Amino acid sequence: MFLKTAEETKDRRPAWTRPGGWSITGRLTVLYTLSTVGMFLVATGLLYWVLVSDLEKADKQFLNDKIRVLRAILREHPDKAEGLEEEVSSAGAYDVRVLDQEKRVLIETPGMVYILPVPLFPAPIGPNEMPVAGVKWKSSRGRSYRVVSAWAEVGRSIQNQRLLQVALDITSEQTLIIGYRRRLMVALLGGILFSAGSGIAVARRGMRPVKEITQTAERITAAQLHERIDPARWPKELTALATAFDQMLDRLQESFTRLSRFSADLAHELRTPIHNLMGEAEVALSRNRAPEEYREVLESSLEEFAKLSRMIDGLLFLARAENPECTIERQTVEARKEIETVADFHDAVAKEQGIEIACEGAASLSADPILLRRALSNLLSNALQYTPRGGRIVVSARPVADLGVEIRVKDTGSGIAPEHLPKIFDRFYRADSARSPFPQGFGLGLAIVKSIMDLHGGAVAIQSEPSKGTTVTLTFSSPS
Amino acid sequence: MHILIVEDDRKTAAYLRKGLTENGFVVDVADKGEDGLFLARTGDYDLIILDVMLPEQDGWSVMAGIHQSGKPVPVLFLTARDSVQDRVKGLELGADDYLVKPFAFSELLARIHSILRRGPGRNADILRITDLEIDLPRHRAMRGGKRLDLTPKEFALLSFLARRTGEVLSRTLISEQVWDMNFDSDTNVVDVAIRRLRRKVDDPFDKKLIHTVRGVGYVLEDR
Repeated sequence: MFLKTAEETKDRRPAWTRPGGWSITGRLTVLYTLSTVGMFLVATGLLYWVLVSDLEKADKQFLNDKIRVLRAILREHPDKAEGLEEEVSSAGAYDVRVLDQEKRVLIETPGMVYILPVPLFPAPIGPNEMPVAGVKWKSSRGRSYRVVSAWAEVGRSIQNQRLLQVALDITSEQTLIIGYRRRLMVALLGGILFSAGSGIAVARRGMRPVKEITQTAERITAAQLHERIDPARWPKELTALATAFDQMLDRLQESFTRLSRFSADLAHELRTPIHNLMGEAEVALSRNRAPEEYREVLESSLEEFAKLSRMIDGLLFLARAENPECTIERQTVEARKEIETVADFHDAVAKEQGIEIACEGAASLSADPILLRRALSNLLSNALQYTPRGGRIVVSARPVADLGVEIRVKDTGSGIAPEHLPKIFDRFYRADSARSPFPQGFGLGLAIVKSIMDLHGGAVAIQSEPSKGTTVTLTFSSPS
Repeated sequence: MHILIVEDDRKTAAYLRKGLTENGFVVDVADKGEDGLFLARTGDYDLIILDVMLPEQDGWSVMAGIHQSGKPVPVLFLTARDSVQDRVKGLELGADDYLVKPFAFSELLARIHSILRRGPGRNADILRITDLEIDLPRHRAMRGGKRLDLTPKEFALLSFLARRTGEVLSRTLISEQVWDMNFDSDTNVVDVAIRRLRRKVDDPFDKKLIHTVRGVGYVLEDR
């Protein structure tokens, strides 16, 4: 109906989100790995950040303390050089330099000039400003420093100021951070590998029931249609699938049984007339006979042939009706008129058997009139077969709200035992072939009625109570 | 009456020729569409029986060719596929009737008679077969001067048999023509109806008019 062009059907989604692209195991593994890696990244990143920022904070704290101490010395004891010298020379992990306003070096940690020249220090902060952040600097010899510079007052005078330059050696910290980063990377890589591996294992394990179901399904062949998957054995998510699968098998098995019974019945139905024909011809030819006797044989054969031909026509009709391309020619028909025509056709038989046929109701519907008559005729013929003398058959039509039109054929006949009802519309199925007073039927009548209703998109239902009667209801849906 | 059969199946052609010849027709057979068309154009036929499933030139083109030649000869076509499209196509191409294979010979004979009878005349108002008299416009049937008490359908059945007197009529044809039931049915309705009709038309009289032809159908005639 809706023919898609190649362009439209082409799925532009990436392969792993597209159904039928990747295997479920592959997809689950990727998703699982991605989520674990994401978690790892967040955790290690956070740890790394905390370490780095803590160290930095400690460094800044230390440098600020140093500036504060130097400023205090310069302010409180501008004349004494010992305090300053002590600070400058006692430095271990840090270097200090004091310059005058013209940037001339007054005093500095010995050797500092070779490693940390004056110009590399950042712009100084004012004499009363705090704190100072400083910048990181890496020397040509591979050592790392955090360097700050600040103005300091000498004594209480604003005019006389000194420039302080302090550098903290943070090489060991940097080494620690780099080492830490390297170890984190190793841990991260290991984690990714582990989670990918465990992802595959988890996905495989999760998919195992699907694989097992597949294996069970593979075992089922026409000869083992009785096998079932048994929904109780499977995880909750697969129960629905298993149930649906089992139901499908039930239906298949039933159709299969019907089909094989149909073949058996067909063979049986064909065998009897063909054996009769063979036997008659054989006997007739076994000796010379008068022309009348040959004529008798030919006439009898012709009857059998006609019977076979009618049966094949019926089967062909059913086969054609099952073809989905089969269409019918609908027109608006008056149900009452069709019912009366069919009742008229069966009138002679009804009178002969002392049965009354009554036509009731009226409705107009869209149907193929020839098929409608055929269905009604089959139903009436059945009803006449199973209704005893003095009985009554009512054929009624009525419009049903929302449903279309309903035609009922109701008899007061012998009825059908409940065990036969489910199979009554099967081909060749006869509830009581031995007791049938008219052995001319083949048991195709009701199958034909059903397929006629299928062709009309309608339905047929049967209700019966033994020794009380049978009602067959044909429902024609209203044309939409 | 001259009939041309265009049919490629030898067995079918043979029994059709035999059956039709025995029923008083002069029969020619062509087993190819080309030959059939040639015969139809040159010969003088009253009816052509045409199989549509022919090798090489098929029945449809033969039918078209016959109509192009301008000869007003009726055509009855035989088809193995009884799809609606086929029937519509055949009738649109100007065929007069069709039969779906396999068919009963009596069925074919009845249809041939009905096509050949379609011409003017022969629509008598009163049919007489020995002492049976049927007055069609007044819906009255008399036998031996006595009025027969028939239901409308019994009258329709009797007049159908009488109109085709001497012709064996199959059950299918009877149910189609009398009751408008256009399908084969397994029922014995026609037999019962004939039995009831006989009770009124034949039973009170020594001479029987309605005869059973076993395996084929019924015929009304003076034997």
